[in-house]
Amino acid sequence: MEFLNYFDNVFTVYHLALLVGGTFAGIVLGALPGLSPTMSVALLIPFTFHMKPESGLILLGAMYTATVAGGAISAILVNVPGAPANIATAMDGHQMAKKGKAREALHYCFISSFVGGIFGVFILIFFTPPLAVLSLKFMSTELFWVSILGITIIATLDSKSVIKGLLSGLFGLMLATIGDNPILGVERFVFTDHLAGGINIVVGLIGLFAMPQVLNLLENYYSDKNQVLEAIGDSTLSQSFKFVFSKFKALSIGSVIGSVIGIIPGAGGQIAGLVAYDQTKKISKDHSNYGKGEPEGIIAAESANNSMVGPSLIPLLTLSIPGSPTAAVLLGGLLIHGIFPGHDIFTTNKEVVWTFIDSLIIAQIFMLIIGLFLSKHSAWIMKVPDNYMAGGILLLAVFGTYSIQNNYSDVLIMFSLGTLMYFGSKAGFSPVPVVLGIILGPMAERNFLIGNMIGNAKGNAFLHFTSGTINITLISICIISIAYGVYSSRKARNS
Amino acid sequence: MAFIHLVKQEIVNNMNTQIKISTLIITAVSALLFYASFVIGDSENYLFPRLIAGTIAALTLLLYFEKGDPDKSTNFKDLFPGLAIAIAYILLLKIIGFYLGSMILFFALVMIYSKSKESTDFWRVLLIKLGVTIVFTLTLYGLFTLILNVRMPGGLFY
Repeated sequence: MEFLNYFDNVFTVYHLALLVGGTFAGIVLGALPGLSPTMSVALLIPFTFHMKPESGLILLGAMYTATVAGGAISAILVNVPGAPANIATAMDGHQMAKKGKAREALHYCFISSFVGGIFGVFILIFFTPPLAVLSLKFMSTELFWVSILGITIIATLDSKSVIKGLLSGLFGLMLATIGDNPILGVERFVFTDHLAGGINIVVGLIGLFAMPQVLNLLENYYSDKNQVLEAIGDSTLSQSFKFVFSKFKALSIGSVIGSVIGIIPGAGGQIAGLVAYDQTKKISKDHSNYGKGEPEGIIAAESANNSMVGPSLIPLLTLSIPGSPTAAVLLGGLLIHGIFPGHDIFTTNKEVVWTFIDSLIIAQIFMLIIGLFLSKHSAWIMKVPDNYMAGGILLLAVFGTYSIQNNYSDVLIMFSLGTLMYFGSKAGFSPVPVVLGIILGPMAERNFLIGNMIGNAKGNAFLHFTSGTINITLISICIISIAYGVYSSRKARNS
Repeated sequence: MAFIHLVKQEIVNNMNTQIKISTLIITAVSALLFYASFVIGDSENYLFPRLIAGTIAALTLLLYFEKGDPDKSTNFKDLFPGLAIAIAYILLLKIIGFYLGSMILFFALVMIYSKSKESTDFWRVLLIKLGVTIVFTLTLYGLFTLILNVRMPGGLFY
């Protein structure tokens, strides 16, 4: 029950203000179609750079929680999910909106997001410390395989083509080798002064997530989307609360499935929402109403995508493998504040980490209150025109990038990487494995070189990397995940 | 009709050939990198890049044989003006200054990308867009220079 001791740190005026601001901005950004939670958190990192670690993490955590819930607003009102996590919400949510029950649907969303979110954070609280102890057994070779595993899982789950996903990850790893060798300290691949320090993680994050969105908004500016904004309608809060809690089955299926999927590295909210929706539909006695405005569908999907948030941080804090794409960005946030995931995270950075986890509970409460308040006024959020949004994101990306090291070269790197990624994504490459490659690259290389030296001293480096229970387990999971990726993409193509 | 179908098929075939050629080029480049890592004097420094270059070469060869989805087409007509302004902005940023440059970029983007249904009164639209540009730039100034204490390069005019 150690987590109870750190609530004092959260309840300061400054931190509460950060929570309110982060939650409000998160819901609005989440609701804007085209702005993903991952990009919102990436754009926010430069602002947290100048804060104390716990304050910065509180803001990032509040944003992560709120953007996932906020995506439901556009899913319901215009049938465009604000984020991939809200795809399942749109199925029944928009149908309810068409019947004039948008506000009721939004109430269900935020209430079930709250329940799922709290459940997820408690899973995080109780499962992280024992797993952190397990990570003590990880030496150089194991840590090398862990970083390869993180990239492999995200690469195979996040892309349609396993080969392209893996290539994206390798491209990220290659980018990470620019600059100094982590062991020898010798420079390589520095062809111009702009690349002298290598590629900064946050610069990569902002470029890879923000630039493609800017160019996408501009490219599709004139294509008619046929969006019809549904009327908000009316509903009372007490009725909504009573109704959501009467659907105990949908709530619990959503929360449990969301948590389990959150722990699986790389899986993320999109899958959580869809699986929970599907399971609730299967279990329900009368499923003829699903897809036509069944509230249970919304409750299951939303409780699942928010309960994913807490558990997605479990593998992140213990093994530095993010449980979702946004968690990958959060890993960048942790590293720039000097917090390195692993067994000692609950000893050396005890105060920061527990304060951060406690703030996630409070963030859920704020998300509920602000979300319910905004659901009445949510229509105006949808009215931000795409051209303003594109200009705004581009400027924030440029200013944010510059502010990290007061370096113009970073702006050039951010812009060129992002533009390259935009055209890469047209060919089926995904930015998430690239980012993970940049983040985990130094860890992979350092441990590879150390392992190699130890192995050579022992006589056989290859054997050193491929023996030991943990190594074999990690390698097997890598292989299984690639095999599963190939299998599921074949299946998707055939159907 | 048959003719159009044939032309379409030809375009798809050409695209596939382009993809195949670019995959082969990447394979060649990474194979070269792999080879270079042995030749350069300090090979320990290039040990990890060698591993990656080798894997990339192997995977792109596999990609050559993969029957993947075709690339998404790009609407260059609508993308080009925005991309061109953005490139000019990034390159000129240091010379004309961050704040002035950003004002010009934002205003140019919202003026060039505008839908006819917004309003028929040109001057009204212009004034609104100019207002939003100034307010947004001032917000950036408040956030970055006043709160975060980041000094943005002023350029020629400060």
